[in-house]
Amino acid sequence: MTVGGAWICLLSPLAGALAITLAGQRISRRTAGWISTLTTFLAFGGALVAFFGLWAADPSDREHVSTAYTWLAAGDFEVGFQIQLDTLSSTMMLIVSGVGGLIVWYSMGYMAGDDEERRYFAYMSLFVFSMLMLVEAGNFLLLLVGWGLVGLASYLLIGFWHHRPEAVAAAKKAFVMNAIGDATFALACVLLIWETGTLEFTGVFEDVGSLSSTTVNLVALGLLGGAIAKSAQVPLHTWLPDAMEGPTPVSALIHAATMVTAGVYLLVRASPIFEAAVEVQHLAAILGAVTLLVAGVVALVQWDIKRVIAYSTMSQIGYMFVAAGIGAYGYAIFHLMTHAFFKALLFMSAGLVIHHLGGEQDIRRMGGLKDVMPRTHIAFLVGALSLVGIPIFAGFWSKDGIVSSALAQGGGLGWTLFVTCLSGAFLTGAYTFRMYFTVFRGEPSDLAREHAHAGHGEGPLSMLVPVGILTVLATIGGLVVIPGVWEPFIHWIDETAESLVAPTVAQDYGTSAIAVTLGLVGAGLAHRAFRERRQLVSQSGLWRVLEHKFYFDELYDALFYRPAVSLSQALRRNVEEPVIERSLDEIGSGTIQVGGEVARVQSGLLRTYALAIAFAVCVLVVVFVAVR
Amino acid sequence: MDGPGVGWYLIVAAILFGTGALGVMLRRSPLIVLLSLEIMLNAANLTLIAFARQHGDLAGQIFALAVMAVAAAEVAIGLGLIVAMARRRLVLDVDQASALRG
Repeated sequence: MTVGGAWICLLSPLAGALAITLAGQRISRRTAGWISTLTTFLAFGGALVAFFGLWAADPSDREHVSTAYTWLAAGDFEVGFQIQLDTLSSTMMLIVSGVGGLIVWYSMGYMAGDDEERRYFAYMSLFVFSMLMLVEAGNFLLLLVGWGLVGLASYLLIGFWHHRPEAVAAAKKAFVMNAIGDATFALACVLLIWETGTLEFTGVFEDVGSLSSTTVNLVALGLLGGAIAKSAQVPLHTWLPDAMEGPTPVSALIHAATMVTAGVYLLVRASPIFEAAVEVQHLAAILGAVTLLVAGVVALVQWDIKRVIAYSTMSQIGYMFVAAGIGAYGYAIFHLMTHAFFKALLFMSAGLVIHHLGGEQDIRRMGGLKDVMPRTHIAFLVGALSLVGIPIFAGFWSKDGIVSSALAQGGGLGWTLFVTCLSGAFLTGAYTFRMYFTVFRGEPSDLAREHAHAGHGEGPLSMLVPVGILTVLATIGGLVVIPGVWEPFIHWIDETAESLVAPTVAQDYGTSAIAVTLGLVGAGLAHRAFRERRQLVSQSGLWRVLEHKFYFDELYDALFYRPAVSLSQALRRNVEEPVIERSLDEIGSGTIQVGGEVARVQSGLLRTYALAIAFAVCVLVVVFVAVR
Repeated sequence: MDGPGVGWYLIVAAILFGTGALGVMLRRSPLIVLLSLEIMLNAANLTLIAFARQHGDLAGQIFALAVMAVAAAEVAIGLGLIVAMARRRLVLDVDQASALRG
């Protein structure tokens, strides 16, 4: 029953994707949308069954591995098509299918009237299936399959508007960056097969202790490479902002709520490996800390509303990496969940704004939308408060848990992370409220006025209801962990991945006080800058650096792209053209020439042939005689 | 076992073979060429039979029979070709039939 729910959860989006693909034009666009939405909610139902089944079960009986069949077998090595159902994966299933279902539903309103809605919904269902495959997989190979499939779905959806060259370029960039991570992940898997002979989580984790430290470190590094590519952490982060070329619900689903958090899930899922390779685990925390600062600072100068939110996503995932890197797994997953709520909410209310303004994404052309779109305003404000971590709202409980875990970790690393996280809280307040004030407060812009009289409401019901539900979740979704009072969520995750650090109640509330103050100071600065009509970053030199996102794109261009292009050109000039192409030409013309010469022998005169045979026989006779 | 030694037979066979070979190489009429071919084949048959007798082994004689069968088939095809050429009113001259020149 419990495991059956997990299987339904996994397979129902796949069925939806197949149904839409196979039905083609026989179903209406609206039907395609409903198929996708309902199958995703059916998956959510399956996830609920699985979750409550586990909840009711005895704590010692909360790990199920269910194998459908042996998928691959090579000698002694076997990989089954198997899912692992435990507290961690059931939580992830709920987040993915629940938030995913809301976003697919929202898409029906957002994408209405698009030319290729059916294709869109087929991709969305494929994505939800891939993501569920990723979180439910019972071994590393299936995890890698899900990993690759979400990359594919993400590629397809970023490039959904394939008539726009920027979208196609962004899709390619995302795919290539992710492929680097996929490659290191695959190498780690190969190493695991080599050393332990199995890829099943349970088997691998039992064997971790017997592996040499070099092996464990290499495996952990490979997995970390996959995680940072998928989760857009420095240095493989440059694809995420560009990925905003996709439709907004895609940004909400893939690039905020689910796919980009896959790296965090991997860090927590493979925690026994990372705990055996402490340096690599700490490296994850350090990369997360660097990312949360870099992304937070860059977000201060972006003008595209979706890019601001994208950078904030990178920054928040940086927090999760910090948490997973110091072993605060419960808080990592907790922040993953609340982030899914409020970031999906931010993206979807931004989507409402974009939809309302006829596709405009530049916040300079927005402004004063508070009165025009009151409900969207409230939703966005809730999302923003939750993101900044103001008390009561979901983000407060989770983010502060991470910061206080860094404090509880102590030592040089812990303190560095602690200070970084607090600076991040300040930056979050600043960039979030810079965006909020510019979009919603002040005098209505020309564009806003123009669309205010258009007479249509804030959006169709299918968009407003999911946003409303997420608004509620982003408000109260964090109440499952109140330090010192009750922490069921943390204990729930602890059953699968036991946390290494546990902040005391005093640390928790002390940190919260500092973090909230810093967040408010950031928001206050943003407000003052807005009132005085100036930018938060006033130095033009710094502005330029930030506008170029610390020149990462330019650096990669100079390091990889250009050398590769000039190498290819040199190869074409010096190898391809003179050696390969000319040799082929020579073979052709040479054959023709030789053929012309040989053809003369064939005179067509029977008697010359006979003479030749007789002559040859004579020669043979002479040779035989001579040899004797 | 009296009579001429195997050498005589071989000499006769060699003369026959030379006659045939010269005929194939020198004559232009396809009929004569075919005839000369037959002579060469029969020279070979003669050597086979002569050696078979010398060794007291029947294999050579049976082999000669096989050669005769092949020769009969070959004549059938050759004559068929010549008849076909005559029907199409082509010149019966092996040097003229040189369409296969490369």
